[in-house]
Amino acid sequence: MIVQAADTAETGGPAIAITGLVKHYGNHRALNGIDLDIRRGEKVVICGPSGSGKSTLIRCINALERHDGGSIVVNGIKLTADEGAVQDIRQEVGMVFQHFNLFPHLTALENCMLAPRLNRGLAKARAEKLAMHYLERVHLADHARKYPARLSGGQQQRVAIARALCMEPRILLFDEPTSALDPEMVKEVLGVMEELAASGVTMICVTHEMGFARRVADRCVFMDHGEIVEDGEAETFFQAPESGRLRDFLARILR
Amino acid sequence: MNGLPIDLHLAWESLPALFDGLKMTAILTALPLLFGLALAFPIGFARMSDRRWLAFLAEAFVTFFRGAPLLILLYLVYYGLGQIEALRKGPFWILFGSPFGCAIVALSFNHAAYMVEVLRGSLLAVPHGIVEASEALGISRRNVFIWVKMPLAIRYGLKAYQNEVVSFIKGTAIVSVVTITDLTAVANSIFEQTYDPFTPILCAAAFYWAFVNLVRIGFDLWGRWLNRHNAEDVAADAVAPGRGPSLRPASDLKQVTP
Ligand SMILES: Nc1ncnc2c1ncn2[C@@H]1O[C@H](COP(=O)(O)OP(=O)(O)OP(=O)(O)O)[C@@H](O)[C@H]1O
Ligand SMILES: [Mg+2]
Repeated sequence: MIVQAADTAETGGPAIAITGLVKHYGNHRALNGIDLDIRRGEKVVICGPSGSGKSTLIRCINALERHDGGSIVVNGIKLTADEGAVQDIRQEVGMVFQHFNLFPHLTALENCMLAPRLNRGLAKARAEKLAMHYLERVHLADHARKYPARLSGGQQQRVAIARALCMEPRILLFDEPTSALDPEMVKEVLGVMEELAASGVTMICVTHEMGFARRVADRCVFMDHGEIVEDGEAETFFQAPESGRLRDFLARILR
Repeated sequence: MNGLPIDLHLAWESLPALFDGLKMTAILTALPLLFGLALAFPIGFARMSDRRWLAFLAEAFVTFFRGAPLLILLYLVYYGLGQIEALRKGPFWILFGSPFGCAIVALSFNHAAYMVEVLRGSLLAVPHGIVEASEALGISRRNVFIWVKMPLAIRYGLKAYQNEVVSFIKGTAIVSVVTITDLTAVANSIFEQTYDPFTPILCAAAFYWAFVNLVRIGFDLWGRWLNRHNAEDVAADAVAPGRGPSLRPASDLKQVTP
């Protein structure tokens, strides 16, 4: 029963295991020994003041930044300098950015089709079907043939989510997905993310949307100066913050 | 003589010769554009390489071939290389032995040097975030270049490319100094035969004007097709022609509208 054994190994370990992670920018220590395990299917919200290393942390997970100390293991794959490992991990991990970063020269549909076609060699018709499926999931089927410049910020971000979903990743990273949006568009994007959260995918989300964190997060992580200061269940995190730094931070953003 | 400076009869008579000249000018444009572009890619990659010596060599190439006046370059290739005994006996003499071959070589290297900078400027203008998004999707570097970076770079660099092509076309007139009968040389020989300075030169100017405008219309259509995705994309304006020192200096911009 080798298949089964492999299967348990696959689903058994954590989705992401980070130990002693260190990242420097020149002399500046952006991450100072981060330890963080994320279970499969877990929804984790990361918050913290500007410059605390939130983006750096999640960008290390899919190797957009290369770490220089500690280890990162994603779905059992150890992240090394080896290009193969990096590519393997990127197939498992989707990412949504603050500024959408859609391909401006492609329609919403084509934005979603590109990676499946190039990475998995899907034929056009199949890629199109896949893309339409996920565009429907973010409620944008009607806008599939539009170019990004013709879409609102909220719509663009939902296309970006669909684009990430088309690679059918088991882990999704969000880096402040709503902070570049006008207030009236924040809701539609958070709504889509909440629907996603219900689907069982592992989610790590850097955000200051505390309402979203309360509703969706299993766990909240507070970072400051490149370290994890507090890491706990969403409820206790907000009701009874242990550290003074988190209390100050919450007081500032909830005001 | 009527009041016109142009002798219509002479103009009509000269048309076939002028057309032949235009044909030569067109060939002297098309081939170097092709070779220059083909050269610009490897040299451009070298220019952007992390390997310092490689980047340095590429930069030296660009500095030399942009800095040397085309006329000097042409003289160097045509008269200078002929002095090299080994070259005269080698297989490349087929190329360097004829004025046409020399002109193609000189023009191609000149164009390549400018295109390296156009290419580099356009690639650097591709927003970093979009490249990161592609990488995060697990798209290989090669595919990111082919499907994301180049398509965007072409859009951002099209205006600069058009400027370069238009000024390049006019620059080809210099080949008459090595006995090639391009449009300018034809006009000049008619002038020498008839002592009418206006008719042949004005006719040649009209031919250049038509040629350049045809190219410009081609570029406009191409640009409109490429930018069908937006009328108000901000990124596309990011590389206005003459941007920074990497693209051609603003003094060349007048030549866009002949
Ligand atoms: N590419 C870089 N080069 C140099 N320093 C960087 C770079 N990226 C980030 N930093 C520095 O590393 C630290 C952590 O940055 P990071 O972007 O991870 O913070 P953040 O928590 O995401 O902040 P924000 O809320 O403003 O997005 C900051 O001090 C920042 O100045
Ligand atoms: Mg950030």
